[in-house]
Amino acid sequence: MSSQATPSTDAATTPATTTITTRIRDRAASDPHGVALRHKDLGVWQETTWAEFWDTVVTAAHALLALGVDVGDRVAIQSENRPEWVILDHATVAVRAITVGLYPTNPAAEVSYLLSHSGAKVHFAEDQEQLDKFLEARAECPEVEAVVYREPRGIRGRYAVPGLLAWDEFLACGAEHRRAHPDAVAERMAAARPDDVITLVYTSGTTGPPKGAMLTHANVEFAIRTGVHDEQLVSPRASEKDLTLSYLPLCHVAERFFTTWHNAATGTQVNFAESIDTVPANLREVQPSLLFAVPRIWEKLLATARIKVDSATRVKRAYGRFWLREAERLGARLAANGGAHTAATRLRYALGWVLFFRAFRQRLGLGKVRYAASGAAPIAPDVLQFFMGVGVPVHEVYGMTENTAIATANRPGRVRLGTVGEPLSGTEVTLHPETGEILTRHPANFAGYWRDEEATAGTVDADGWLHTGDVGEWVEGTHIRVTDRMKDIIITAGGKNIAPSEIENALKASPYVKEAVVIGDRRKYLTALIGIELDTVGEWAQRRGLAFTTYRDLSEKPEVRTLIRGVVDEVNNKHNPVEQIKDFRMLPKELDHEDGELTATQKVKRSAIDRAFHHLVQEMYGERVTARAGADDAEGGTA
Amino acid sequence: MSAVHDPAPPTTGAEARPRRARRVRGRTELYTSYAQEMALLNTRGKQLGVLAIIAVAAYLPLGVEDDILAVLATGLVLAIGAIGLNLLTGYAGQVSLGHAFFVGLGAYTAAVLSGDPDGRYLGFGITNPLVWIPAAGIVAAVAGFLVAPLATRLRGLYLAIVTLGLVFIGQYFFLEWRSLSGGAQVGRDAATPILFGIDLTRNGAYTDEQKLYWFFLVVLVVMALLGRNVARSKVGRAFAAVRDRDIAAGVMGVELSRYKQIAFTISSFYAGVCGSLLFCLNGHVSAEQFGLLLSVQFIAMVLIGGVATISGSIMGAMLIALLPQIAAEVPHLLPFISSSARDSPNIFELEIAMYGVLIIAFLLFEPRGLYGIWMRIRTYWKGFPFSY
Repeated sequence: MSSQATPSTDAATTPATTTITTRIRDRAASDPHGVALRHKDLGVWQETTWAEFWDTVVTAAHALLALGVDVGDRVAIQSENRPEWVILDHATVAVRAITVGLYPTNPAAEVSYLLSHSGAKVHFAEDQEQLDKFLEARAECPEVEAVVYREPRGIRGRYAVPGLLAWDEFLACGAEHRRAHPDAVAERMAAARPDDVITLVYTSGTTGPPKGAMLTHANVEFAIRTGVHDEQLVSPRASEKDLTLSYLPLCHVAERFFTTWHNAATGTQVNFAESIDTVPANLREVQPSLLFAVPRIWEKLLATARIKVDSATRVKRAYGRFWLREAERLGARLAANGGAHTAATRLRYALGWVLFFRAFRQRLGLGKVRYAASGAAPIAPDVLQFFMGVGVPVHEVYGMTENTAIATANRPGRVRLGTVGEPLSGTEVTLHPETGEILTRHPANFAGYWRDEEATAGTVDADGWLHTGDVGEWVEGTHIRVTDRMKDIIITAGGKNIAPSEIENALKASPYVKEAVVIGDRRKYLTALIGIELDTVGEWAQRRGLAFTTYRDLSEKPEVRTLIRGVVDEVNNKHNPVEQIKDFRMLPKELDHEDGELTATQKVKRSAIDRAFHHLVQEMYGERVTARAGADDAEGGTA
Repeated sequence: MSAVHDPAPPTTGAEARPRRARRVRGRTELYTSYAQEMALLNTRGKQLGVLAIIAVAAYLPLGVEDDILAVLATGLVLAIGAIGLNLLTGYAGQVSLGHAFFVGLGAYTAAVLSGDPDGRYLGFGITNPLVWIPAAGIVAAVAGFLVAPLATRLRGLYLAIVTLGLVFIGQYFFLEWRSLSGGAQVGRDAATPILFGIDLTRNGAYTDEQKLYWFFLVVLVVMALLGRNVARSKVGRAFAAVRDRDIAAGVMGVELSRYKQIAFTISSFYAGVCGSLLFCLNGHVSAEQFGLLLSVQFIAMVLIGGVATISGSIMGAMLIALLPQIAAEVPHLLPFISSSARDSPNIFELEIAMYGVLIIAFLLFEPRGLYGIWMRIRTYWKGFPFSY
């Protein structure tokens, strides 16, 4: 991997740019035997060293060249998190092409839209499931010339698709190309320029079709400089000794930041979870030292902890409950002090650590976490406070795809709960004087939406300010609190502005509530649709000897309604009368991406919910339920 | 080989991967190779725990009275035999009541080898235990090897009865071959261990109990390690497969007759080693000792200690060895039990009764034995602060 390959004419004139790929190359040279990636295979964590990692990236890059991928071509990846994702991502960047990440949960229709909109030339479909989606969508995306798959089960020998390659064949083809043109990839890399687009990150699209944000080398390098090297997020800086667990979709900018870019910039050891369902077990095994999770995961961890304490034997239960209360008290103290310890809290925590918190954290897989962050959606302060109390300070950070996830963050020791923190230094973050919309301006602002000039112009104004679409307000002059998405703000019939997400999050902080959708725009009062958490409510029902069959059956039980009523009342007590929920209905099914009710990032699509459960809403406002074919049959509400 | 899980081999350029799997600091549940997961002492806790137990056991002779020490030393030797039976009955699932026979073979082999060449009975004058211990093991193992074909034809109760027959044949044989055993009611001197010129059965700087205890401890540690390694190897997994369902094991490709034979052979070897050492302390062997009672005692050790565990075998053996001691304490608590053999009920009857009661109680209430109790304690703390 000599970087001294004959430089192309282009590279001779411009100085070599530091990119995520050169970072990997340099690390492979300086620390060839260090562990770069780990994935679990047949029950054993298989390690990939930096040398192997880089070697495979180069071979894959050659394979892309062999497939005729040119500068600026798109390579799509639809896969669960696994080494091949990251390898192919780097390989694509190395040949100056553009990575397009698809969520593994994207249904065929969305696959079709994303592939045709991005005009991908090569598509990576992890397994038979993803390949079938592609084949269904194939007619609409004629630009795809080659499809690569990783898991041959069900595919090998059964599919006669032109351009279909197994991963091994793909690499073999790369190896051949590499023998014939040993310096081809190095030449491409040397020609890389800061304004090369390296990835299209499609926004989840709670309204309208997804838009592909173009991020460049310069964006990512600025993000790395600000977020990683200046220790504004992880402090002290992440290093080769740090372990991370990769389980959130890699096509999302936050996971890309914490997995791919952090790994490239600081050499953290990335451990790929087997699947989203095995995260608790994988957390326990890996005991990551840096952990990024979305609010849903933190809520789930908290719920699991409470359930496990509640279902422990008598002595352990009493003991556990005592310490969980202590954690809440400690958390409240810490929160009041910005997350920093005072002498008194340090002493109390030390005692708790010996007697409870150490074991407790270890069992949850948080034993070694030294920096944790929550982002991508708003989180209830109670949850953060709890984790603070058990010694896992979770920092709420804020950013979005369009600014490469760089905007504000709560810094260790300067945490204000309920806010998303202070603007990162080196960036400009401000509020729109009239609307209160959060605006950012810094070198990580994206290069525009792919093939959508109009949307780009609507997002970045003439002065270079990025309009985030979030409404915020200053807290203590330093921290920013995000009120809500601008378009989600509810204006009641009385003319009162209400941010539903805050109420929703307060509801979701209960271990029994998975989804909450507050409704009330142009209505007299607020109501909510609430979806229960099957695991915890199921457990609760079992302890009470309440028999149930399905999700729907359980959520329609009067006892469960009473349980949720209690949660709602508790939340109502914390709000003033206008912000109180007057009525609620139980969602008869779990919301699902496939049914179009959630985005790939598990955000609720309000319009879809409104369509599917319109009859429930009408009921709550005492309106006549409009007859709607199949309205009662929730499964039919795909729309 | 499944192509699905083959990690992509390094194609070109990079040197051969260094495939020494490393542990990741502080991540006890993160295994990067099967070897780590199957390791003998796979956690720091186990390593320290075993070291601590061995250290305490090694220190005991300096702090315990000689009569107690003698009982403990007997326990150590019985533990070797119990491990052997556990490999056969616990791991491989072949019920054997014939263990006493193999113990007897070991005892006489050792006695004959180390016996006085000019004495009344057979003797070759080889007093080095490093010779006669393996020899005793091998003779027993050969006998086990020859008996094993029976086991491949029989199962469960039938096997138990056949091996019971072995005890009676053996006892008749031992009683009647007078030049070997000294005959009924008489017996002969047991093996004398003279190691590096030191007679372990004579008082010197340390008493004979102390010296023998240390010697037995070393042999036990070696044999226990061997046993654990057999259990966690391919052979051990084959044993478990045969035990759980022999037909299924056969279908999976485990050669039943071969592994049953291996189980019998290894088990008999352990019995032989146990027999060679068992009578060193009181210096006398008599043929009556290798009866059904001894076999039942070994069964009791396995059941009380914990089926299919090495550490359980040791715990069971120690408890059974201490049983007379425990029985002797009972008259202090219950005055109607006499410590004299002429009255009834007396402590010797009580001792016999206790075998039965313990076996029944353990089978009913703690089927995994003493080891099961330990497991429950361990799980309680391992799961802390949760229950699962």
